[in-house]
Amino acid sequence: MVGLSEGEKHFIRGGIAQDLRSDGRKRLQFRSISVETGVIPQANGSARVRLGATDVIASIKAELGKPSILRPDKGKVSIFVDCSPTAAPMFEGRGGEELSNDLSVALQRCLLGGTSGAGAGIDLSSLIIVDGKVCWDLYIDGLVISSDGNLLDALAAAIKVALSNTGIPKVSVLGASSDEQPDVDVSDEEFLQFDTSGVPVIVTLTKVGRHYIVDATSEEESQMSSAISVSVNRRGQICGLTKRGGAGLDPSVVLDMISVANSVSQQLITVLDSEIAAAEASEE
Amino acid sequence: MATTPMTYSPSQGAERRQKQQQMRRMSQELDWKRSDGRSFHQCRPACLQTGATNAASGSAYAEFGATKVIVSVFGPRESKKAMMYSDIGRLNCNVSFTTFATPIRGQGSDNKEYSAMLHKALEGAVILESFPKTTVDVFALVLESGGGDLPVIISCASLALADAGIMMYDLVSSVSVSCFGKNIVIDPTAEEEACQDGSLMIACMPARNEVTQLTLTGQWSTAKTNEAMELCMDACSKLASIMRSCLKKSANLSS
Repeated sequence: MVGLSEGEKHFIRGGIAQDLRSDGRKRLQFRSISVETGVIPQANGSARVRLGATDVIASIKAELGKPSILRPDKGKVSIFVDCSPTAAPMFEGRGGEELSNDLSVALQRCLLGGTSGAGAGIDLSSLIIVDGKVCWDLYIDGLVISSDGNLLDALAAAIKVALSNTGIPKVSVLGASSDEQPDVDVSDEEFLQFDTSGVPVIVTLTKVGRHYIVDATSEEESQMSSAISVSVNRRGQICGLTKRGGAGLDPSVVLDMISVANSVSQQLITVLDSEIAAAEASEE
Repeated sequence: MATTPMTYSPSQGAERRQKQQQMRRMSQELDWKRSDGRSFHQCRPACLQTGATNAASGSAYAEFGATKVIVSVFGPRESKKAMMYSDIGRLNCNVSFTTFATPIRGQGSDNKEYSAMLHKALEGAVILESFPKTTVDVFALVLESGGGDLPVIISCASLALADAGIMMYDLVSSVSVSCFGKNIVIDPTAEEEACQDGSLMIACMPARNEVTQLTLTGQWSTAKTNEAMELCMDACSKLASIMRSCLKKSANLSS
C-alpha cells in the first residue's frame, strides 16, 4: 500500500481532473516504454518491458506434450505470473500469491479466448505437430521485477514482445504409425517464427473521480474507484475484459471506457511494433 | 507398449468429444435447438430459497437448472487477531466445490479464482462502513456444477447477505451469456460452456443501474458487446425482482 497524506491525495485527484497528472502526463498518455528482447537465453523467447518504474520480464518456453482429448487439434498454452518479494515487501508469502493469481487469470482470459479455443490471441492450431498425438505446450511465465502500477498492461506487452521473439524448433515426424506415439526429431538449427499479429494488448483504464486515466502509477492506483482492463487486437476487436475495484459503474460508462480503451490500444500497438523492430535490430 | 491407457475411461472421452463436435457444428448454424429446449434468450427457471442452514446468520439456496449452490453468511463477527485495525468492515468470500459437483471427480477445484471474483462482485454492494472492525464471512458451496456457476453463486450470495441483514446498497444479480459464432446464448449450461467461443458475465445492482463486475473472454465486436450487455442487464433486473419476492416471502412467513 502506498502511504499518502490527505494533501497528496488531493493533489493527485485534482491533477487528474485538470488533465495534468503529477508526472506531467495527460490522462490518456502512457509512460515511456522501453523494450528489450532475448534477455533469457535458456527460453525460446523472452522480453523485458519497462513502463516508467514498472519492470517486468516475460519468458516463453515450448515443450513437447500431448494435446488434450477434448481438443485434439490444438496445442496448449499456460500462463503464470510470479510477483517476487524483491519488487515489494508486500509480495512476500500470501500477499504476492493473491496478486499473482489475479494477474494470471486476467492474462489467461485476455489471451486464450473462449473454451472452444476460438478467439485466442495465440493461434493454438499452429502449435500442433501430429493431430491428437504431439503438440507444443507453451509455458508463458511473467515475472514482476519492480512494481509501480499498471502491471497487467506491462505484462501483456511483455508477452506480446516475447512471442514475437520466440523461435519454435522445427519438428520432423519420423514414424507415422496410426496408433502409437510417433517419433519426432526436434531440430536445433531451424526455428519457426510465431505469427503474433493477432496477439492483443491490454489497456487498463483507471477511474479516478469522474475521469479515467491510462497507465496509472501505484500512487494513482491507490486513488481509483474502479478499473477496467480491456484487451484489444490489431483489428480493434475486444478479446477480453476484466473489472477491478469495488465501486459500481453505469453500463453506459463501461461502454464509453471500452471505446476509449479501443482507440488508445491502437496507439500502443503502433508504439510496441516500432519498439519490437528496434529491439530486434539492436540484438542482431 | 505405449498403448496401455493411463486411466480407465478412454471411451467416455471419445464419446464426449463426439458430442462436442456435434454441438460445435450445430452452433455454427443460425438456428439450432438447445439441449434443454430453451430459446436463445431464455434463462433457466430460477429456484431460490432463503434460510437453507440453521447455524448461519443468513443463508440461501439457489437452483438454476442443474446448477445447485448453497451460500451461508456468518457475522459480522470480530476480525481475526492478526488483522490490523480497520474503520470499515471486511468481506471474506470463499467458494468451494463438492468433489461430486462435476462429471469428473474433483474437477471443480480448478476454479480457484471464483473466491476473488465473488468478492469483487459483492464488495461494491455491501456497505462496509456499517460494520467497522468486524468481518462478514460468505461461504459458497457448489453442490452441482451445471453451467453458469459463478453468476448463480453471486446472486445466491447476495440473497444470503440480505437474509443475514447485512446492509447493502442493492441486491446483486448476475447473468452470463455465451457466444457461438454469430449467436448469443443466455444462461449457458455446462455442455454449452465447454464449447463456447466466448463468454460475458455481468454482475450488477439493477435498482442503481451499476455494474459491479464484468468479465469477457473471446473475441467480440463492439456492437456485439453492446447487445450482450443489454441482454444481461435486462435479465439481471428480472432476476433481481425474483430475488426480492423470495426475500419478501420469507419475511412474511417469519412475521
